[in-house]
Amino acid sequence: MSYDTLVVGAGLAGLTTALRLTEQGQKVVIVARGVGATHLAPATVDVLGYLGEERVDSPASALTTLLTDVPGHPYGRVSRQQIGASLEWFCRRLERLGYAGGLDHNGLFPTAIGVARPSALAPRTMLGGDLRDGGRFLFVGLRGFKDFHPSLLADNLAHARLPAPVTARALELEPPAERRGDLSGRLLARRFDSGELTDWLVRALQGRVEAEERVGLPPVLGLRRADETLADLENRLERHVFEVPTLPPSIPGMRLYDTLTAALRKAGARLVINAAVVGAQAHDGQIESVQVASAATTMSYRTHSVVLASGGFASGGLTLDSRGAARETVFDLPVAGVPEDGATRFVAGYFDAQPLSRAGVAVDDLLRPTDRDGSPVYRNLHAAGAILAGAVPWKEKSGTGISVATGYAAADAILAPSAVGVSGSIG
Amino acid sequence: MSSLEADVLVIGGGSTGAGVARDAALRGFTTILVERRDLVDGTTGRFHGLLHSGGRYAVKDPSAAVECIAENRILRRVAADCLEDTGGLFVATPWDDPDYGDLFVKGCEATGVPAEEIPVAEALRREPRLNAEIRRAFVVPDAALDPWKLVWGCARSAEQHGARILPYHRVLDLEVVDQRVLGALVRDEHSGEEFRIHSKVVVNAAGAWAGQIATLAGCVVNVRAGMGVMIAMNHRIVNSAVNRLKFPADGDILLPLRTACVIGTTDVFVPDPDDTEIGRDAVDLLLDEGEKLVPGFREARALHAWAGVRPLFEDTRDVAETRDVTRSHALLDHMAREGVAGFVTITGGKTTTFRLMAEVAVDAVCRQLGVERRCTTAEEPLPGSESHTLYGLDTRLAAREPVPQSEEIICECELITRSRLEQTIKRRATTNLDDIRRLLRLAMGPCQGGFCIYRATGILHHGDRVDHTEANRALVSFLEERWKGLHPILHGDQLRQARLDDWIFQGILDVEHLPA
Ligand SMILES: Cc1cc2nc3c(=O)[nH]c(=O)nc-3n(C[C@H](O)[C@H](O)[C@@H](O)COP(=O)(O)OP(=O)(O)OC[C@H]3O[C@@H](n4cnc5c(N)ncnc54)[C@H](O)[C@@H]3O)c2cc1C
Ligand SMILES: Cc1cc2nc3c(=O)[nH]c(=O)nc-3n(C[C@H](O)[C@H](O)[C@H](O)COP(=O)(O)OP(=O)(O)OC[C@H]3O[C@@H](n4cnc5c(N)ncnc54)[C@H](O)[C@@H]3O)c2cc1C
Repeated sequence: MSYDTLVVGAGLAGLTTALRLTEQGQKVVIVARGVGATHLAPATVDVLGYLGEERVDSPASALTTLLTDVPGHPYGRVSRQQIGASLEWFCRRLERLGYAGGLDHNGLFPTAIGVARPSALAPRTMLGGDLRDGGRFLFVGLRGFKDFHPSLLADNLAHARLPAPVTARALELEPPAERRGDLSGRLLARRFDSGELTDWLVRALQGRVEAEERVGLPPVLGLRRADETLADLENRLERHVFEVPTLPPSIPGMRLYDTLTAALRKAGARLVINAAVVGAQAHDGQIESVQVASAATTMSYRTHSVVLASGGFASGGLTLDSRGAARETVFDLPVAGVPEDGATRFVAGYFDAQPLSRAGVAVDDLLRPTDRDGSPVYRNLHAAGAILAGAVPWKEKSGTGISVATGYAAADAILAPSAVGVSGSIG
Repeated sequence: MSSLEADVLVIGGGSTGAGVARDAALRGFTTILVERRDLVDGTTGRFHGLLHSGGRYAVKDPSAAVECIAENRILRRVAADCLEDTGGLFVATPWDDPDYGDLFVKGCEATGVPAEEIPVAEALRREPRLNAEIRRAFVVPDAALDPWKLVWGCARSAEQHGARILPYHRVLDLEVVDQRVLGALVRDEHSGEEFRIHSKVVVNAAGAWAGQIATLAGCVVNVRAGMGVMIAMNHRIVNSAVNRLKFPADGDILLPLRTACVIGTTDVFVPDPDDTEIGRDAVDLLLDEGEKLVPGFREARALHAWAGVRPLFEDTRDVAETRDVTRSHALLDHMAREGVAGFVTITGGKTTTFRLMAEVAVDAVCRQLGVERRCTTAEEPLPGSESHTLYGLDTRLAAREPVPQSEEIICECELITRSRLEQTIKRRATTNLDDIRRLLRLAMGPCQGGFCIYRATGILHHGDRVDHTEANRALVSFLEERWKGLHPILHGDQLRQARLDDWIFQGILDVEHLPA
């Protein structure tokens, strides 16, 4: 088996690279142990939401400050133009999900506990929750779905720091019982897909929504046809309706994954899920083939380029042993940002800066992992997404943005290495 | 200023204080117990969890061994519901002095601790993960002891006999007139209100803080705080309490605790019993000792670490090594010692011997009051233990299984239902998720609250008593508190879990930017 590019990992970074390369005519295979963080995360694209304590309104202008403060940040390895282009490309390729937004202004979307969280792009099902223009909001909980608490959400939101006045209140509805006990997100999504809960919800809200109120719901509007369900609800309720992301698993994330993988398959890429990349054969600084282990066998895939998009500690792309040594688990690359032997790895304050936070793989301007003296470990190995060193994405609110931007840029680096590289282009 | 009156005022809501309050109430004294925080939030809620057979002390401290086995037998009867009958093993690893085994046999014979030698092959059959190189193995009647059930059981029983139990009431001062303690000045830590409690006798059961309390009466009680660290591991790596066959030392016991198991402990003096930061060296030491018992232990998934402080009583000051101080308790009648009447200190000891400690303390109360009332705690079972059946690993699941899908499960790891959580919040009238954690074991499983704490916060706020700021504070302080036990042991799969939780709380929910 021989490919132009083999991508390790089916998270947002791997899927982005693979789709971009496939549509440019490459023969691509994705090998992934599992589905990655997409099934757990809210499905917004967060480029940069916070600079220290400061909430970011415009990622475009805040990036300059970020890169001055944190020169080793992953965004320092891609050009501003590439970040912008990656977002545009993302919106275009995911038209079915109706992503909107951009690099110039963050939207502000409520979290399930009622904080206004900045995101650069959001899917259509969340756009109605944008808080920037203020307004009146009703949050509706579904009894039995324990991962959504509308009254706490509404109370917090009513006290949030926002550019325009917001009022918020809560309502708890009891969906017709299929059985007692926990209602999972998947179960509710299935019942929205069948139309059953859509009709019920419209009836249940009759006379209980006030004029001008937008309606926020848990993120369970269906797996197959959430966009139609949303349109249907908005038409019949004559107002904006939106989803508010909450704890994993994430139905909006599954939609994103399904849409991306369907596009990939259609474009002719191959996906091998439930298989792990366990090593590589290299010659003269070039990877020539990669070992892939699945349940039964280990096989060798020949490839011209490799993109490592195996995620960070959360996805097993990195591990830390009990003595504090960090390891990159696929190619045993050097890991940057790990406190020296004996130095503190974690400090006692949960919200304080944690010394290990920025650990990951350091890369050059073609996103190639580098060794300690800065030269690429392999000439044809690139890395993208959460495996990269330099960010604290859960604080910055930059996880998915980094994955899309670096995934896109890794494809550029493979397709036209001479045309990219950031030297001089950032600013 | 309002005031309360009682025959006996007990200071401290650990196993000792709760035991004293129950014993005093059963003997017909009007009794009040005050605890500055929640019950079981001192050393008793941060101990290892072993109901000792006495084997550990059979060589080094025979009188402690005799007490342990006697109390072990009594508690199996009267506190059965607080015990899991794990049984115990003493095993000699290649690192342990081979001559100790014979000393152990003699010590157990002399102290009456039943210890039966079994073939190594049999020990490995019972505990297949143990190091196959072990050389000798003995079976002893150890058990796992649930301190929350024990202390709350004592408190409920005391209340049934008329006692008042006041958590979150801190003793600020003792009232001493003419060499007699007349009561205490107490502050309600929730309302901030200060008031007096008058009593005939004050029992100081403040554990490692007993010295601080004694000072308030002008007495000297020299308790040193010996801090010990424990680590809970994600699996029930062993099914019985496994002790090293050697002189008591650091990291020599691995104890199953419900679905987890706990390695412990260490021992260093700390100047302030409230300052117990867990160092990486203690964690490394425990993981290394664990590795000797169970190969692969170091890199197995650790869940959580915590530290407790032993109240170590000493009458002389120059003791270099904390483990040389006797584990037997100290009863100090300050009438006899310093001529201060109405004041008794009971400290040191172990949770295993808490009942005996309470008995001798209340005997001293009787002497001070010049009355004779018999102790009945060796016969009278605690509420819930009337049937004398020990709890099992499957008790919670078995209780849920008949109607598996009848209700929302808020904490999947510990099988806590929504109604159980709502009732507890209501009954305890608390907004502190950490108190609820201790009562229900909420968030004590592998995910350490990653999923259930947002839910619990929502439910806490759902009632009409708690506004959003209080709910937010409960959530944030829970996360901060839990991190103290997580950051020292983060590696491998638990770091992965912690990252997932960072994403949930800081990413998805963005709790860092909740309104203040
Ligand atoms: C619960 C949760 C909530 C989140 N919320 C947000 C949010 O609100 N905003 C935000 O910006 N970001 C969020 N994120 C983070 C975001 O999802 C990540 O940063 C994501 O973008 C990383 O994508 P990735 O492709 O780099 O890696 P991942 O999505 O982690 O994917 C890694 C892939 O590599 C595979 N892999 C690993 N090792 C191997 C191997 N040896 N062989 C083969 N395959 C391998 C994995 O199976 C997986 O497919 C959240 C993450 C989580 C877990
Ligand atoms: C690491 C470690 C492991 C151990 N393992 C075991 C074991 O496996 N088996 C065993 O049997 N024993 C064990 N022990 C011993 C046992 O835990 C203790 O001896 C026992 O818990 C002491 O109980 P206590 O009630 O005396 O003290 P505590 O539980 O500490 O109670 C004293 C209480 O007094 C309160 N207090 C302090 N100041 C005030 C004030 N001003 N006003 C009101 N209240 C106040 C404190 O908040 C505290 O709750 C262990 C001890 C340690 C440290």
